[in-house]
Amino acid sequence: MNILAIETATPVCAIALRSANSEVVRVLDEDRRHTEVLAAGVAMLLEESGLRARDLDRVVVDVGPGLFTGLRVGIATAIGLAEGVGCASVEVTSLELLAHGAHGRGARGRLVSCVDGRRGEIFVQSFELSDAVLALDAPVVRTARDVVIEWATNGVGVTFTGDGVQRYVKDFSAVPNGTILDETVPSLKAALELGAHRAPSSTITPVYLREADAVANFSTRSRQ
Amino acid sequence: MSVVLGIETSCDETAAAVVDQDLHVHSSVIESSIDQHRAFGGVVPELAGRAHVATIGPVVRRALLEAGLDPHAPAIDAIAVTSGPGLIGSLLVGLSAAKGYALAWGVPFVGINHLEGHLFAPLLEQSDLEWPLLTLLVSGGHTMIVLQKGPGEHEVLGETIDDAAGEAYDKVARWLGLGYPGGPEIDHLAQSGDPSALRLPVSMTGTDLDFSFSGLKTAVVRATEKHTEVEVGDVAASFQAAVAEQVLRKLRTALERHEVRGIALAGGVAANSALRKGVSDLASEFGVICHLPSMAMCTDNAAMIAAAGLHRFRTSGASDLTLAARPNWQLSEVS
Ligand SMILES: [Zn+2]
Repeated sequence: MNILAIETATPVCAIALRSANSEVVRVLDEDRRHTEVLAAGVAMLLEESGLRARDLDRVVVDVGPGLFTGLRVGIATAIGLAEGVGCASVEVTSLELLAHGAHGRGARGRLVSCVDGRRGEIFVQSFELSDAVLALDAPVVRTARDVVIEWATNGVGVTFTGDGVQRYVKDFSAVPNGTILDETVPSLKAALELGAHRAPSSTITPVYLREADAVANFSTRSRQ
Repeated sequence: MSVVLGIETSCDETAAAVVDQDLHVHSSVIESSIDQHRAFGGVVPELAGRAHVATIGPVVRRALLEAGLDPHAPAIDAIAVTSGPGLIGSLLVGLSAAKGYALAWGVPFVGINHLEGHLFAPLLEQSDLEWPLLTLLVSGGHTMIVLQKGPGEHEVLGETIDDAAGEAYDKVARWLGLGYPGGPEIDHLAQSGDPSALRLPVSMTGTDLDFSFSGLKTAVVRATEKHTEVEVGDVAASFQAAVAEQVLRKLRTALERHEVRGIALAGGVAANSALRKGVSDLASEFGVICHLPSMAMCTDNAAMIAAAGLHRFRTSGASDLTLAARPNWQLSEVS
């Protein structure tokens, strides 16, 4: 099975390709110029692997949560590719990719994935890592401060990972029973692995977790 | 180059169309997210971007199917996509998807200037248009007079220095407590109103061809505060008359200065009845061919992008996969 994975939820744009005899992960950009590098990077990776786009069996895409603009570039490109080729598309989330990445690096027990959402907020989800990776709750958006206070006061041993941790690393370092796993990019290897086994979805839907600003402001205003 | 798929997502319309080299439109699909924006009195960029993500796949698919093409291996030669100007979060959806489709099908793509797309719209409906052609492009985002010496050879003679005409309609409609978008509402009310009920200034009466509409909006606010007894239909009619007078006065000056064979009206505000009548009268007076677009061709659509794409492929060639969106791309920078 030939699988392409696309990752654009954070300032890093990365892709990965698994074919019968190889698996390549490539970081294309670390500065939010996703639209300029993504399609050209995919074309180059396919060529290097001796594949054409129509040889793809699956396109796996990180649907977030993450930075809206980058996500839209990755998701729209995935839609064009998968719809155009007529192959399956598979959704994975940034937070589960971080958890699977941490699991692959040997982390066990309680883990909290954190993706930077800017404006003092992070997208978070907790997992229990044993032989498997089990999500304990649904992804939510919270202030970094709230997350730090929760874990600093509940006494449970925990590992934090993701660019949301790096952004507020001083706060997260202060959690007495916490450990920081230094990883900012959702795992592309995990995207290929999950993408190979998960049921395809008929539409690709981003996980935003936040309303558009105008809608949020509007509801606040109408309530007053 | 024979058959082109056009994709347009610069504002709130997600559109795809299939057009051939004879500018025959095989399909043209448009999905608008306008209903989501009504409550806010204007297009909310983040909502528009989200709507494009949800609709781009189905819209392209429908355009291909309606043109009798296989959505997974369509017999098209290229893709033309709007890469500017417009809302960045909206442009990126169409541009990224276009690159994905181009990769999937192994066809080239070209980034098209949305305004140049509007200039090609008349050619899709009227094959007897002759150059040079004067086009009045009026929409929610733009107001300009363009002189075209041939397809793709354009010179902007004048444009708005502040609000676009459509924007002025929206602002006045909001002030009057009417719905969004304001153009159709005001145009409808104006039909039964008295255009001389309010004395509104006609801006930019000088000889240059630029426009200005922000002062007119302020004048409507002042006049209606002072004359509260004036009916809303009369306000609408007075405002519409003042807009038309400014626009048509500029168009007349352009016609006096430039020897042309035809005039065309393009853009969303081209649906406005006062402008349609005025432009048509001017064409008769100057003895030139007049093109008034159908209502479907006034709104943003992808057929016009495909038409511009057919031209750009011949003259400028394909774009690179690294092409970035240009939210502020001026028509004068197109080459
Ligand atoms: Zn337009």
